[in-house]
Amino acid sequence: MKNIICNLGYFLREVITIIRINPMSNVFSLLSTALIFFILAAVISGWWISSGVVEAVKSEAEVSVYFSEGLEAADTKRLTDLIRDIEGVREARLVSEEEAYLRMEQILGKEAKVLEYLAVNPFSPFIEVKIQIEDISSILGEFELLPNIEHIRDNREILDRISSIAGVLRVMGLLVVTAVGISTMVIISHIIRMGIYDNREQINTLRLMGASEAFIGFPFILEGLLLTLGGGIIASLLSVYTLRFVYAQMAGPLTFIPLPSGELLISQLVMLIMILSAALGISGSIFGLSSAKNV
Amino acid sequence: MIEAVGVSLVYPEGTAALQNINLTIKPGELVYITGPSGSGKTSFLKLLMGIEYPTDGILKVLGQPVAKGQASGIRKLRRSIGPVFQEFRLIKGRTAIENVMLGMRFLDVPFRSIKEEAANALEKVGLSQKSRSMVEHLSWGECQRVAIARAVARKPALIIADEPTGNLDKDNAMKMLELLNLFRDGKTTVIITTHATHLIEGEKNAVHIRMEKGNMSLERLG
Repeated sequence: MKNIICNLGYFLREVITIIRINPMSNVFSLLSTALIFFILAAVISGWWISSGVVEAVKSEAEVSVYFSEGLEAADTKRLTDLIRDIEGVREARLVSEEEAYLRMEQILGKEAKVLEYLAVNPFSPFIEVKIQIEDISSILGEFELLPNIEHIRDNREILDRISSIAGVLRVMGLLVVTAVGISTMVIISHIIRMGIYDNREQINTLRLMGASEAFIGFPFILEGLLLTLGGGIIASLLSVYTLRFVYAQMAGPLTFIPLPSGELLISQLVMLIMILSAALGISGSIFGLSSAKNV
Repeated sequence: MIEAVGVSLVYPEGTAALQNINLTIKPGELVYITGPSGSGKTSFLKLLMGIEYPTDGILKVLGQPVAKGQASGIRKLRRSIGPVFQEFRLIKGRTAIENVMLGMRFLDVPFRSIKEEAANALEKVGLSQKSRSMVEHLSWGECQRVAIARAVARKPALIIADEPTGNLDKDNAMKMLELLNLFRDGKTTVIITTHATHLIEGEKNAVHIRMEKGNMSLERLG
């Protein structure tokens, strides 16, 4: 190990020489790994954003319980209490018809004038129930057993759809991570094999003089590491630029989508890509070295 | 230093390169191995460096058995040898001093003194002024001297030079042998193979090994 550290300058010069012997192959490998890592970053950020959105929507999941008209205030309160006691219900509160009207005014904004044409308040009071999304089925089952409930409005279809999109992205993410891992390792091990072949005379001379395989192989591992780190840096820069652009585009028209923090997402993504590129660079190089041991 | 008992080498295709070799070479000896092409000189050197293993007999070089299953020991043995290859095997794209330094980087030479030792070795072979030249810009003779500097800078216990006089006229060949002889001392053994028997006529205080069709005869001169 001491020998490796002491010779770090020599190894770096060796890497430059190895790259200089076959510059175009190395440039293409760098660009290929950058492109692969960029695709990975795009899929992972899509996966993380959708998961974040699903989690945010889940935490806001609520159902509206409409009860029989003319129900006495005491009965309404009893019904609200019964609902509150159901497992999976986080909060239950009565929304009066006046509050329902005001909410609609807020939602409509400038268009709220249309409500003025109505002679009477058309909105019914209801019980707003915040729930744990996982318990929605059992909660809806419990509602059926309660008296005076006329109908229930849930957003189950939308929530299910978002959940299934997140699931697809998760599977895609795992597939892309696997594909990226394999392709990066193939590219790097191939370039390392080429480097070993181009330098086979030097390698054999070093072996004849008693150099260890670690000493001989280290410049090639360093070359693979530098190539993937270079690819990772290019992919990270492109991803940062793209994510900032996408966030800026979404900030205006799609404010209601609860996106996760952009800066946090970027820093985590860059860290993941750099760790992955280093790990894949080293493992690809070792794979290339071991497959070309008898050159 | 070198001990061979009944050593034979038969290549996989059936060629018997060496047959029943028995010899002992002591530390600090100067050894000339002569014989025509195909007599087994290079095969014997390959055995000494652990490039080939004896198919029969026991061979020990610097106390290390040369046999299958001794990879780690043979790597250590090679670190104690200063080889001057017939085709030099210098690394292209590097300067003369870088080539000499490369031979020491994986030895137990203190890192700070590698450059100094390499410069000293180049000075001994008379190439100080060419230390920064790329090896592909050096003449054949200069490359040979870089190869010798690379071998001796390692301060080896055994220097092996394969046909160092091969492409030289008589005067330069004599100078080359004198140069190699300089690095022999009480501890360092020098083994030189050559076609040219006439170059060692009158040589004293040396060992002369004659090879013929894989057989060996040893004579101590002087």
